[in-house]
Amino acid sequence: MEIAVVGNSEFIIGFQLAGIQMTYPADDDEKLKDVVTKLLENENVAILVIKGSDMQRLPPRLRIALEESVTPTVVAIGAEEGGITMRERIIKAMGVDLWK
Amino acid sequence: MALTDVKPTRSELINLKKKIKLSERGYNILKMKRDGLILEFFKVLEDAKEIRGEMLEKYDRAFEMVALANTVEGAIGVKAAAMAVKESPTLDLKKKNIMGVVVPDIESQAVRKTLAERGYGVLGTTSVIDETATAFEELVDAIINAAQMETTMKRLLDEIESTKRRVNALEFKVIPELKEAGDFIKMRLDEMERDELVRLKKIKAKNA
Repeated sequence: MEIAVVGNSEFIIGFQLAGIQMTYPADDDEKLKDVVTKLLENENVAILVIKGSDMQRLPPRLRIALEESVTPTVVAIGAEEGGITMRERIIKAMGVDLWK
Repeated sequence: MALTDVKPTRSELINLKKKIKLSERGYNILKMKRDGLILEFFKVLEDAKEIRGEMLEKYDRAFEMVALANTVEGAIGVKAAAMAVKESPTLDLKKKNIMGVVVPDIESQAVRKTLAERGYGVLGTTSVIDETATAFEELVDAIINAAQMETTMKRLLDEIESTKRRVNALEFKVIPELKEAGDFIKMRLDEMERDELVRLKKIKAKNA
């Protein structure tokens, strides 16, 4: 199984340099949505890497599907996590802020 | 269950008692599950925090490097080098079960490569490209670690939340209501018994 990377061409170029073959350029929202939907169904993808700010551009339903998915596991990187952040989740579930 | 829906009969009381017993058993089991999940959560919390921080650091560095490489080599140069890399890291994704929560278990192979394995010519490119590639390999490594940890955390948190909700619903809503209904039936039955007694006494007095 492999890692897939979705994002604008600047984002994916570095990952190509690290040897990742499954890189998909997606510059506009529509394309991003299509690519992510297709990758979610691809059984050869183990991890889907997406930029946090791109994650925020996805429709809410798809974003929730991404957050809950185990195969592939989705990682949002960058300063913005996209969707509900881990801190918010912890506060919601535990009632205290443990993410310090 | 509203009290008006309850039929004050003995069989209903027996049924209610059974239900209360079952709910209490479920409540105890769910409470244990919640505590177990929280323990499990605390186990991964510290690691997850560390790994997230590390990943962000590597992310910043990697993108700094790629910007530098773009400046030194030009966008085309970087792209050409990137296209030459053929070895891709392979992963093995399994599922692990923590108390009914399915979490990913990822094993990775061959993320880091030597210079020769990368595929682009050493002579044609500068060392900035090498450093960028190394930075990205490190980032990919961190991402793989983080992927497993974060999904585990997210799923655990969701499960903790819903288990908590169930425990509270049983403790503060279901069980008290059932108990109230049981008390109501008991009172009604006693009342009916007293009614009957009085009636009997009256009939006896009339006949005498």
